[in-house]
Amino acid sequence: MEESRHDIDTKKKQVAVYLCGCKGAISDHVDLESIAKELKGDPDILTVSIHEALCSREGQDFLKEEYSAKGIERVAVAACSPNIQGLIVSRSLEEQGLNRYLFEQVNIREQCAWSHADKSEATEKAKRLTKGAIARAKELVPLEDIVVPILPSTLVIGGGVTGMQAALDIASQGFKVHLVERSDELGGRAYKLSMTFPTHNCGICCMQYCKECVFTPKIEDVRQNENIEVMLESEVVDITGGFGNRQVKVTTPDGEKEFDVGTIIVATGSKTFNPSRIPELRYENPDVITAVELEQLIVEHREKKGWLKRPSDGKVPKTINFIQCVGSRDKVKGNLHCSLVCCTYAIGQAREIKKILPDAEVYIHYIDLRGPYRGFEEFYDQAKEEGVQFVRGRVSEVVEDRGKLFVRAVDTDSGTLLNIPSDIVVLAVGQEPADGSDKISKMLHIQTDIDQFMKDINPMFPSEFRRGVYVAGTAQGPKGIRYSIEDAKAAAASAVELMKKGETPFPRIVAYVDEERCRGCGRCEEACEYGAIRLEEDPEKMVKISRVDEIVCEGCGACATVCCNKAITINNFKREQVEAQIRAILEEVDADG
Amino acid sequence: MAEEKGADFEPNIIAFTCTWCGYPSANLAGVNKIEYPPNVKIIRVMCSGSVEPGVIMDAFEHGAHGVIVIGCLMDNCHYVSGNVKTQERIDALKELFDILGLDSKRLRTEWINASERTKFAESVNEFVEEVRALGPIPMKKKAKLKPRTQDETKEEVKQIIEDTGAFDCVECGKCTTVCPIASFDPDFAPRTIVLRAMEGIVEDIATDRDIWTCIACEQCNVMCPYKVDYSGFIRGMREEAVRHGSAPLCSQGGVIHSTQRIMANTDLKQQRLDWVKEDMEVTDKGEVFYFVGCLPHYDAIFKDMEELKLRDIAESAVRIMNKAGVVPVVSNEEKCCGHDLMWTGNESDFEKLMDHNVELIKKSGAKKVVFTCPECYRTFNMDYQDLIDDLGFEMVHIADYVKDLIDSGKLKAEDFASAQYKFTYHDSCRLGRHSGIYDSPRALAEVFSGGNYLEMERTRDKAVCCGVSAWTNCNAQTKRMQIDRLMEAKKAGADRMLMFCPKCQIHFKCAVQNEIPVDRSEVDVGIEDFTVAMARLLALMEEPKEEPIGDSE
Repeated sequence: MEESRHDIDTKKKQVAVYLCGCKGAISDHVDLESIAKELKGDPDILTVSIHEALCSREGQDFLKEEYSAKGIERVAVAACSPNIQGLIVSRSLEEQGLNRYLFEQVNIREQCAWSHADKSEATEKAKRLTKGAIARAKELVPLEDIVVPILPSTLVIGGGVTGMQAALDIASQGFKVHLVERSDELGGRAYKLSMTFPTHNCGICCMQYCKECVFTPKIEDVRQNENIEVMLESEVVDITGGFGNRQVKVTTPDGEKEFDVGTIIVATGSKTFNPSRIPELRYENPDVITAVELEQLIVEHREKKGWLKRPSDGKVPKTINFIQCVGSRDKVKGNLHCSLVCCTYAIGQAREIKKILPDAEVYIHYIDLRGPYRGFEEFYDQAKEEGVQFVRGRVSEVVEDRGKLFVRAVDTDSGTLLNIPSDIVVLAVGQEPADGSDKISKMLHIQTDIDQFMKDINPMFPSEFRRGVYVAGTAQGPKGIRYSIEDAKAAAASAVELMKKGETPFPRIVAYVDEERCRGCGRCEEACEYGAIRLEEDPEKMVKISRVDEIVCEGCGACATVCCNKAITINNFKREQVEAQIRAILEEVDADG
Repeated sequence: MAEEKGADFEPNIIAFTCTWCGYPSANLAGVNKIEYPPNVKIIRVMCSGSVEPGVIMDAFEHGAHGVIVIGCLMDNCHYVSGNVKTQERIDALKELFDILGLDSKRLRTEWINASERTKFAESVNEFVEEVRALGPIPMKKKAKLKPRTQDETKEEVKQIIEDTGAFDCVECGKCTTVCPIASFDPDFAPRTIVLRAMEGIVEDIATDRDIWTCIACEQCNVMCPYKVDYSGFIRGMREEAVRHGSAPLCSQGGVIHSTQRIMANTDLKQQRLDWVKEDMEVTDKGEVFYFVGCLPHYDAIFKDMEELKLRDIAESAVRIMNKAGVVPVVSNEEKCCGHDLMWTGNESDFEKLMDHNVELIKKSGAKKVVFTCPECYRTFNMDYQDLIDDLGFEMVHIADYVKDLIDSGKLKAEDFASAQYKFTYHDSCRLGRHSGIYDSPRALAEVFSGGNYLEMERTRDKAVCCGVSAWTNCNAQTKRMQIDRLMEAKKAGADRMLMFCPKCQIHFKCAVQNEIPVDRSEVDVGIEDFTVAMARLLALMEEPKEEPIGDSE
């Protein structure tokens, strides 16, 4: 009696059930025949069929034929995860006219066939899950997608290589870009590097401020582009609104600026690990430097010649030790993750030192050399030929003894303990998310992963992080310049695609208010993290009524849970739909017991 | 029972997994062929924060032995804070589980990252073993109601009309004029519901909202010149509606009704006497039985409600009795009186509860049962009595009981301090109109008023209801009614409004907890239980640390 008339009209429709064998991946472990047999004859079921692969072309054709032949309105599928091939299956029915909201799929592959060795147990569970899906399918309500308009402008947060590349790609398609950078210059960390892989020279990004490179074309490209508004020494302080239309507040040296954007690219980058967190590496000693500091020495050397000197006393260094994985692959004092770029840059720096000081002894202490890039092996080979010495083993500590530095390590290949006197120790520090990136991820409600970098919705596939929000470059995880630029181009292309369409359909899995039940207490408004619910005066009711902004709503259901009168619900995750599914799963037990 | 504790018992576990971490972690476990027990059935939800306690309770009622909620890592929820809120909610629900004797270990939360397939498998594995060790939950089978045909329903409705005197209705409309819901909702009219039934229009009984919108406050009963038992009529209609598949979508997502049905259908070892403190005297067998009702349950269910401590009512009642030299029986085996189930058309569970309670009281040897809750009192006094001719004990409400204690000199009027605040008294419908107890509360108020007692405009049998009955509908009209009542108290000049009914207290506090449609100063009235107020004035309970809102000091 609590459902709207619409619900009642569409209820009690029969469900078409399809079981997928997944070419043996399911059918070898789950007895689909017995499930089908048991389901047949249920008056709520229109038809039951088993197919060897619903997502195959044949499977799709089969479903299409079924649809036109049987007058199907609701479908329950038991197959793989609905997140992956499920889309192929549901889309083939949608194309024929099925309302996409009347489709339910349960996962009997990962959740049954692949996780329970006993066939009869896996079959029993698969049967219950299928019954749950059928029960839920019966309760589903047809809906229309939301059409979301997308504003033709972008906010790019961060003016490093990633941010600049994204800004350029988007601007070149004629869209307005607001590029916000908190420092006083564009270019980010890459801008300060003496050289880059794999050319071992200027070249890949062409924007060093070293004397050899006077053109700095990228930075100028960005500055000259009339579609790009560059805001330096500026920070994003607030972002509100929703998909396709977000309101941005930025503090700039000229005061606060506000503007609306349709898409956002987060390119907040990374910072390097602070080695003081590992006291045994003696970072406080002036001759223990990070790779970033070594870059500065090399740049200075390029400008002034003969400047690659020991920081403490200006003497020409004879022995240089590189310590790899500083802060990386270290669960205790650093981060578990591998920073991916340190092996490559350390080899580059070692070769550069050998070029400047051919007589110097250069050691690289590594656990594993990781450089899964094209050209890395040649790069490494070249370094060995040039006399760089690679020592496999983790450095236990750097010791100061009578004014001298010693690196204590083990060569695990020969099994010998080493105590190498060292003029300069270079720490190959890893990458961590940039300061303040947590603030941005909170503002945009982007989840972070165990490593604190922003988390992809699908780790296997570059995609949106939030509707209309893309994360590119090292904000998403450690990576090199080339890969950051690739990211930037991919994100820009996605943003452009969205803005070119001008509007896009979006699933209506959002909050819905039954105004007859709403009492205007405002608990949903309080619970909503997105500002999607507003209380509005209702003169007739003499209390306020909750209204949902469907575009801002993320469909999480926080509102539905706090509503004491269950006036607000999430479409297709309504209480009766979830309960029907659970009851059907459990009821079976009753019958057996 | 086929189910047995130990190695042969296969528990049914429902795992709620969020779309972003819980569900993918289970998928990854499958992709990596990591085995876990097939007892675990996964339900995908958008966010762990959308898992309602009511849905969890429903799962237990339908055969689940354990529920695990799996969401994103703490501080890392895809929806910002869903998991944090879920943890709080589940913790509160665990309290309720322990009170019910369901064992809070049957509920678990797990916060894992999408990639942590092993952690998923390990935690569900552990949970299955834990629940296996706890064993089954012996639950009485649900009585399957025989579905009714339209003709049968027509006959039944005829009978209801006869039993409640609705045939005598002359359609004068007086009921609608006094109906508090009709005053806010022009589409609602008690008269037309009766009229439709009399004309034999019953096709829509399963979807008729009106029979659930009524709050059975009995304003209409009181005013009807032909003494039609309107609330009885509604009750009968609800029972019929339930037989046609209507399930009231209750406030609080049905948690409360689930709680009551679980009590009716299980014999678990409850933990409902936590409120009894060492310096209080209670006993197992004796002359006087104090029937506590669901006070401890509500404290757990409404954990998020500020300043709600209904356990204080029970403590106050016992302390007052102790002061008068009475040592009451309180029982850990007491169950819900069944009021809400009966008023929502669930006669069979109501009768189970009734039989249990009556037997329990008889076993205690009590000749007198004291109630603080007006609903429990009404249910025993009228409904139990209707069904069981001779209960063998007398029922008395605390208002009458304390008045008797004073009249007989067991309590002295001088022991009461005078109230230092201006207060009024709200007649709860079950105590006033249903049971006719109007005078004792006022007589008691006179004892300690110190001249500070004030009457509201609508009082005694004209008192406005708190707006909700049996946890069914609680909508805009309800809220308006509640706000109206509080404004009335304020207008009378009161700092506090006292009442006996714990549900009135919950509903009024709920009404002002968040947004209100009027200026806050207009409803700025402390909401306090009458029994607790008496105990405080007798120096048996402490005054609340923070002065209630609106206290003039």
